[in-house]
Amino acid sequence: MFRAELLKMTTVGATKVAAAVGVLGLLTTQLVFVWLLPALSSGAIVIDGEPGIAAELGGVFDRASFEFQYSALSLLGGGASAGSLGFSVIAVLAIGVLAATTDYRFGGIVGAALASPRRGRILGGKISATVVVTAATAVAYAIVSVGVLLASTIASGVDLALGWGDVLSEMSRGIAVLILLGLLGLAIGVLVRSQLAGFLILIGLVVIEPIMHAVLQIVGGAPIWAQFLPLALAQASLADPGSGAVLSPVIALVAFVAIVGAALTAAWVALRRRDF
Amino acid sequence: MNTSPTPAIAAVGLRKSYQDVVAVHDVSLAVPHGRVVGLLGPNGAGKTTTMRMLLGLARADAGEALIDGVPFRDLDHPARTIGAVLDAGGLHPARTGRQHLRIAAAMAGVEDGQVDRVLAETGMAPAADRPIRGYSLGMRQRLALAAALLGEPSILVLDEPANGLDPTGIRWLRDRLRAFAADGGAVLVSSHLLAEIAHVADDAIVIAHGRVVASGDLASLTAAYGGDLESFYLDLTATAMEVR
Repeated sequence: MFRAELLKMTTVGATKVAAAVGVLGLLTTQLVFVWLLPALSSGAIVIDGEPGIAAELGGVFDRASFEFQYSALSLLGGGASAGSLGFSVIAVLAIGVLAATTDYRFGGIVGAALASPRRGRILGGKISATVVVTAATAVAYAIVSVGVLLASTIASGVDLALGWGDVLSEMSRGIAVLILLGLLGLAIGVLVRSQLAGFLILIGLVVIEPIMHAVLQIVGGAPIWAQFLPLALAQASLADPGSGAVLSPVIALVAFVAIVGAALTAAWVALRRRDF
Repeated sequence: MNTSPTPAIAAVGLRKSYQDVVAVHDVSLAVPHGRVVGLLGPNGAGKTTTMRMLLGLARADAGEALIDGVPFRDLDHPARTIGAVLDAGGLHPARTGRQHLRIAAAMAGVEDGQVDRVLAETGMAPAADRPIRGYSLGMRQRLALAAALLGEPSILVLDEPANGLDPTGIRWLRDRLRAFAADGGAVLVSSHLLAEIAHVADDAIVIAHGRVVASGDLASLTAAYGGDLESFYLDLTATAMEVR
């Protein structure tokens, strides 16, 4: 079933488009946040001879600092601008949603159910295929992130403050988080079946959760439960382990695995009970 | 040739409701090996729901359906036992026919080599590498049938397989089903094309309002109508409407 599901995902353009949008989107945001803004901040780039921008941004983007370089490696996009979630997140969520809803939209789920009456196998195949496709996409993200950071540091003549162990740690957690986001998209897709509904939920997730965090901050700080929402956990999983964050990356990652596991369990129950 | 005394398909007391509407009520049927059985009935009579319950796609509220003596869900290799065509669906317009069949083969656990066999068998080889969006309805039916034949099953369940087929395609389908039954295969086929059923089926089951209103050998069923299936069918279904 894994091979069939992988073929399903790789023989339609939508999956490739989603992955390409994610990679290009990440490349764009990384170039802006890791190269362009720091260059403006340092005065390396001066627009119309006006140094005002550098004065305004001065000190915010310290390319030589460990913190800047660490956050620049985030595979969730947005570079050093913590709190921003970019195309990369939307793209892997979309890959997961597509893995499920394309089958419903075009009736392929009937063929799958005929070939595999034990429907857990269908979901297992979809999970495996989604893991492979999102992992491949995440590796492309990793190459972009590391590449832009290296290019930025080399171009500006600063040393890499990160050890290769830090890079590997951040990349491996980033790839794991993106795979989990893809699986969350898959679970949403299986549950709602409709491609439109799946994408609306996906967009709602990506837009509403950050807004909610912003509102909670304004009205007096984020309650603990808000830190256990999916995207907050995804971001917390990628924090520097030495940063002393309330929620350590390991705990955040474990909690995120639990949430995705619960969503997939709900999807499995729905798939078992559903008529086609 | 399969000479098993166990019916290829057996259903006893199948019942299915959707909210307050009873779609299928106490349907029992048997399809032996070596026979083509036509499943007839007006739109909304419950034919497709019955087929979906036989294939494990819809859960019966009551009753039991067996394929070669076991429930569909307990078949070890369903595609090697039973092939199905339902609405010629499951075709992604952006995929080619060959890609669709490769996916179906992977799901069924059969070798990719079978893809070329069924493409040749259904006459779809010349169009195999074209996107499905360019296929006619008849070509989609042939491709769906090709997918059903991938596992070389001994049972076929076909829902309106002649839809969209041109006369050559209908003739081909008829010959294919007759040859399949002659080799010991069992076929349950629904169709609104009564003339086609009259040509291809050995037996008929007529469903109206979710109930079996007639079943048996086609020649015996239509004997009182001079062998005219259409007269028999229209008379029977009109009676069933009145009874309701």
